[in-house]
This record gives sequence, structure tokens and C-alpha cells, in this order.
Amino acid sequence: MSAGTPPEERNASAPSLFKQHENLTVTAIFAGFVVIIALLQLIITGGKYPTFLSPVNILNILQQVSVPGMVAVGMTMVMISGGIDLSVGMLASLVSIVTALGVSKWQLGTATSILLGIATAIVLETLMGFIISRVKVEPFIITLGGMITFQGIALLLCNSREVIMNGELDFIKTNLIAGAKDPVTGLNLIIPPYALVFFLIALLGGILLKFTKYGRRIYAVGNNSTAAFLAGINVKSMRLSVYASMGLLVGVAAVCLLSRINTGIITLGQNLEIDTIAMVVIGGTALKGGKGNVVGTLIGVFFLGSIGNAMNMLRLPSEVQFVAKGMVIVVAVSAGHVSSAISEFMSRHAEPTPAVETADAKGR
Amino acid sequence: MRPILRLDHVSKSFVGVKALQNISFDLRPGEVHCLCGENGAGKSTLIKILSGAHQPDAGGDIYFEGEKVTLNPHLALDLGIQTIYQEHIVFDSLSVMENIFMGLEVAKKGFLDRREMRNQTVEVLRYLKSDLSPETIMGRLSSGQQKTVEIAKGLVFKRKVIILDEPTASYSAAEIDNLLEIIQAVKKSGIGIIYISHHLDEVFRVGDRVTVLRDGRKVSQYDIEGLSKTQLIKDMVGRDPSTFYQRESVPIGEVIFEARNVSGNGVRNISFQLHRGEVLGFAGMMGSGRSELMEVLFGSARLDAGEIWIKGRLVRHATPKASIKNKMCFITEDRQNTGLFLEQTIAQNVIVANLVNTRAFFASPGQDVEVADGFIRRLFIKAGNAKVRVLNLSGGNQQKVVLAKWFNTNGEVFIFDEPTRGIDVNSKQEIYQLMVSLLKQGKAIIMVSSEMPEVISMSDRVIVMKDGEMVGKIEKQDISEENILVHSIGGKAV
Repeated sequence: MSAGTPPEERNASAPSLFKQHENLTVTAIFAGFVVIIALLQLIITGGKYPTFLSPVNILNILQQVSVPGMVAVGMTMVMISGGIDLSVGMLASLVSIVTALGVSKWQLGTATSILLGIATAIVLETLMGFIISRVKVEPFIITLGGMITFQGIALLLCNSREVIMNGELDFIKTNLIAGAKDPVTGLNLIIPPYALVFFLIALLGGILLKFTKYGRRIYAVGNNSTAAFLAGINVKSMRLSVYASMGLLVGVAAVCLLSRINTGIITLGQNLEIDTIAMVVIGGTALKGGKGNVVGTLIGVFFLGSIGNAMNMLRLPSEVQFVAKGMVIVVAVSAGHVSSAISEFMSRHAEPTPAVETADAKGR
Repeated sequence: MRPILRLDHVSKSFVGVKALQNISFDLRPGEVHCLCGENGAGKSTLIKILSGAHQPDAGGDIYFEGEKVTLNPHLALDLGIQTIYQEHIVFDSLSVMENIFMGLEVAKKGFLDRREMRNQTVEVLRYLKSDLSPETIMGRLSSGQQKTVEIAKGLVFKRKVIILDEPTASYSAAEIDNLLEIIQAVKKSGIGIIYISHHLDEVFRVGDRVTVLRDGRKVSQYDIEGLSKTQLIKDMVGRDPSTFYQRESVPIGEVIFEARNVSGNGVRNISFQLHRGEVLGFAGMMGSGRSELMEVLFGSARLDAGEIWIKGRLVRHATPKASIKNKMCFITEDRQNTGLFLEQTIAQNVIVANLVNTRAFFASPGQDVEVADGFIRRLFIKAGNAKVRVLNLSGGNQQKVVLAKWFNTNGEVFIFDEPTRGIDVNSKQEIYQLMVSLLKQGKAIIMVSSEMPEVISMSDRVIVMKDGEMVGKIEKQDISEENILVHSIGGKAV
């Protein structure tokens, strides 16, 4: 047995800068984006402080991204476990309609209606999770079916009409810092409670993934489900549970969204699945599972959320926003892959003894 | 008769390993030339050279119909050398006919000539006396029938050489009879066949000549007529045992694990006892059901009948989770696909199996790294730190990470399935020493291995399996290559 390895060999295969900071690439691109927008504004306005970076605008972005952000935290967990969920948008619409109906038509009272809405989301997601964990069908297909089904249920419940409320949920969007003014623009600053709910969810999600036994198991299942099973992990119940938690988050997010709009309507959750998946992959979570983190997702959430806002600031037509959003996704995700390829290359060349497999040489 | 194919003093070495040394070999038209040898004798390497997948080292030559050739996979096929590997490479959702003509379709004016292809398929299948229809979907066929289709392909395209690598692994007796008949028919059409099999019965039934390889060298070549099985076995074994790894002996203690009439997952009626401080080796040919038995013992495959006892207690292993709690560990034969989380760090790999035994909901990454760093030092894993991804480690170091994962659970009954597959000589010795260190702690090891020297040097007792049954129990003093081979080739259930 080799008595200890030479020190230079030990240090050589230490992770490079790229690997130690998983979210470095996307942070750099985001920062670059912010600088470019701010500079453009400076040029256009002839040297005034760019409104894109004003507190009121930053808080504005925060309000816009809070709801998709909550769902994105759930999507991060689902995707790390190797799954995906296309149904979140229509499920959010369904929850908003159920809750709005509970408040306005069924007279259940606000609290009961909210609980009913959230419970609906949990039950339906758990059901999908049950099918996904027991049947060997791609989560993509199951949740696609879920998406269409939920849309149907929602339309049936509201007779394809919108359900208007009388501001019963306004407490979710009251301004916590009423009276505060933005020093740049002089406008009112707003921080609603649901923004705090978003931060709380992100914090709990991050802790769950990084500092608990449960989180370790999610990564293991997403990385190699066979090895996870052989290491004593109940793969089925893990898969089920991530979808159940997703249900809770979609439920909460949908109620917050409903409070902003005050109307339960089928278009409420439109494109939510696309946006949240985009946020999560920009943040470095792999579609095939096993890799990703909540900090990355948060960067993705704010990045994607600020694109539309920036385009508005620059007075670009809304059509351009789609082009910009699409390109950002492509650039951010490919840049992530390029940088990890670079780090892999560097660590391989730094290693004096490359990983040579001689299995082939044994002639069986 | 002039040979179709001739190898002249061919050698092949890989990084640090001489897989073939100075092999001369020839194949005549219309003969079945068998290759015999244990796992690792160099048969597969030889086939890969013949099919153009590997290039021989300088100094050796290959002649095809008298002309010197440098083979590559394309040229080999063009010349008419078809290799049928052990694992099928077929298109499951396409028909028999489409599989035969895949990539070599017959076309008329740019459109597929299905009628012509069908006629050729029917003709060849009739010649092979097969009742398959050209339209049958490949995925619905048994593996024996699929092999027939691959042989039919060789006939359709008028190949001159067909190489069959372990064609009958996991076949039923009727399928074997059928295949051997087909081979006789193919042979009559003048095609030369290279036939590789562990089953000496088949070699004697179908072969004309046989070449025996051992440790990459050609030991002997015979005409089958007049050859005895004993002679063949003697040639296949015959390594010098003093060159094997010399294991420290450890006192053997009480029974810690017992299987009573265990059946399921393709194995039947297995009983044995395992003592503390003991290595119980499982030998047998590939496909003899050893790994399948291990899956049943560990609870990753269903136990249909029988009982498993650990430390005098009857246990139910419905899942791996339950067996880990019962102090079992399972080092699988395919570490990359079933043992490791390649994209994750050493730390994440090391702690994962022990999650079963921890109560706390919260866990700290820092502590994981500390635990893993301990194992990196103890097991001499060559890595900068515990945050290195397992992907970047060499085979031997990856295997040590798998061991660390299980050592961390404090298990007592270890199943090692092919503990040193595909790792270099130095790491091998280190793994053997780690296994001995387990024994010294009063733990016990069940070891499945296809490498004879490993079985002989590590085992205190050996159980030989064949076709899912136990065909031999060999005590320490009787363990020898010859003894094991005799059981695994010709043994009957005990």
C-alpha cells in the first residue's frame, strides 16, 4: 500500500475556481446585463441616475418575481430529483379559481377558501407524484396530462368565466413600508407581505436542500436512482414527496397571485411553468437531475424577472422582450456548460495521474 | 486447405497490461474453430482484433485469404467478417427483415425494394430451418431467436467469417440445440466460424478445432476428435498459485449470516453459513446466477422462498434499506451505474448509505466533508479533498469511495461483487488489504469473483454456482483452479 500520496499530487486535483463557485458564470452574466442596461440608460438620458437601478424599480421587480420565484424553488427541488412539472401554471389558475369561488360564491370565508385552494394543489400534485413514482412514465408526460386536466377542471368550475372578488385577499399585498419614498424618483416604495413569503420559502428551500438528510437524498435520487435505492433510499417516496411539496408551494404562490389580481381567472398562471423552468435552468440546475441549488435559482429568478422590466425602461416594444428572454436562456445555460467544461479540462490537465480505465485490457 | 483468416504472432498491450502475447491462429473455410480460456484469458481482445475494433501491436500480422490486411471495423465487414457479440445490438422495435438489412437496404430507383429483401430473408430463414417470420418485431423474440437473426444476416450478405462470442449465455437447453444445428448448417455453406464458449459440452459438440488461451498466451491447439475434456481443462488452468496474492489468515468465529433454501430472481435453493472473519467465495461462469443471488440476499430483488438469518435472527429483507439496518453492505459489480453518484463529490457519496442509520433531520455539509476526509486518509484515496467529484477519480479510487460509503455504515456482513474489476494492480492489493482489515474486526465477507486468482487467494471456502444453482462447496484445502473449473463446467446441484 502506498504510504501516503506525494503532496503535490494531492493538491493538484483540488477543485478549480470554476467548480468552487457553481453560480459564478450566471452571476457574471447577470452583472454584465445590469451594467449594460444602466449604461444604455445613462447614454439615453444624458447622464441622469439610471432609473433601472432605483430602489422603487428594484422593489417593483421583486413584486413581479415573488410569485414565480416561490414556484421556482419547488421546481428546483423537483428538477434536482430528476423530475419536471409542466402543470404548475394551470394548477395555479385552478387554485386561484377555487379560492376565488370559495370567497365569493361559496361563502366559505377567506381563511377556509385559502386553505381549500392550497389543499387542492397539494392533493393534485401528490396524485401526480404518486403516478410518477409508481409508473415508469416520464414526469414530462404525466405533468403534461396534469396541465391539460387542470385547465379543464378550472374551466368547468368557473364556467369559463372569471371569478371576481371584493378585495378579500388585500391583506396579502398591503404595503409593509407605507410612507417610504424613493430618493431617486420620489415615488412610493412598496414591500408587500408576499415578497417576504417568497424570501422565507427560498430560505427554507435552500436549508432543506443543503442542510438536511432529506436534501441529500433528493440529490442522490436525481443523480443515480439505482445507486440511491441500493444505498437504502426509498426512491418512490422521495419522488412522491417532492411533488407534494411542489403542491404546497404552487398553492401558496397562486393565492398570492390571486391577491394581486383580485380575480380568479384561467389566464392567471399562464406560462408560469415555462418561466419557472427557465429560471431554474438559468440558475444552473440540470434537466437530467442531481445538480443545482436554490441560490442559483434565485439569481435566475431575478435575472429573468429584470429582463422584461429593463426592456420597458428602455422603451422597447414588448415583442423584443421575448427575443431577449429567449436569448438570455440560451446564453446563460450554454455559458454554464462551457465554463464547467473548461474547469473539467483544467482539473484533468492538472492531474498527474489521469483516470485510466483498464477494464478493456482484460479481454473478457 | 488455405485458411481464410490467419494471425501471425500477434500481440496486444494496453496501458500496463499485456492482453495478448504472440498469438498465431488460423481459420479454415467450413470449420468451427473454438476458443477456450477462463475469464481474462484474452479471448475478447482476440475477437476485437479480428473485428477491427483494436489494432494489434507492431510486429504481428493479419492475413485475409492470403493477403496481409490492416483491419478496421469497416474493412472487416467489407471483407466479410461478422462479429456477433454477447450483448445483442438489435433494433427492438423493427422487424426481423429490417434488422437484417439495417444500413444495407436493397433499393430500386431510390425506393426500398421490400419484396426483394423479404425474399432473401425468407430464403435464409428456411435454410436455417427457422420458423421466424420476416415481419416479426425483434423485441418480441427470445435472445436465442435474436441470435438466429444475426446469423441469418451473415448468410444474407455472404459473409466468410462469423465470430460468435458466448452465444449461449443464459440460453435454455432447447435453444442451445437449435443454435448448434444452425451452426452446422452455416458451416456447410463454407463459412468459417470462430466459436467462443465457457460450455465445454458445446465445444465438443460443434467444434472442429480448439485453441486454448491463458493469460494472453496461446497454450495449445487441438483437433476436437480424440481430445479429452480433462486435457482441455488442464490446459485452461495451470497457473502457478505461488504468484497469487498471499492473504493474511484471520481466525474464524461464530456464524453471523445464514441462507436457508433461498430462491428467487432466477436462483434456486441456496443454503450456506457465513462466519465472522471468513471470506466465502462464489465462483462460476458469467450468467451462473451469482450476482442475482446477491441481489436477493441484499433485498434489492425479491426472495421467493427460503430464510435469511443474521446473528441468529430471522430477518426480512424487503428492501436494501432494511438490510442496511441489519448491518449488510453491498459492493456491486458495476460501480459506475449502481454504486456511485458520479456527478457528486466524494463527501456526498460517502455519507449517503449511512443516512439510513442517522436520526437527525438536519445535517451539515462541513461534517460530511470531515467524515469523508477521514476515509480519504484511511483508505489512501488519491484526491485533493472530499469536494472532488467522483467522476474525476481513477477506477481504483472510485472503488475505494464505494468501500468508504459502506464502511461508514458500520456494516458487518459485506457482499463484494467483483471487488477489483477494471482496476490496476496496486489498487487491487490495497482493496485486498482493506478486505482483510474487515475480517480482523470480526466482520464477514461474501465475495463473488470471476477472477480465478482472486477467488483462490482470498477465499476461505468456495461455493460454485451454475445455472442458478449451487453445484459445489469447496473447503479451504481443496481450493484449486482445476477443482473450481470442474464444478462450474460439469457440476450437478448439491
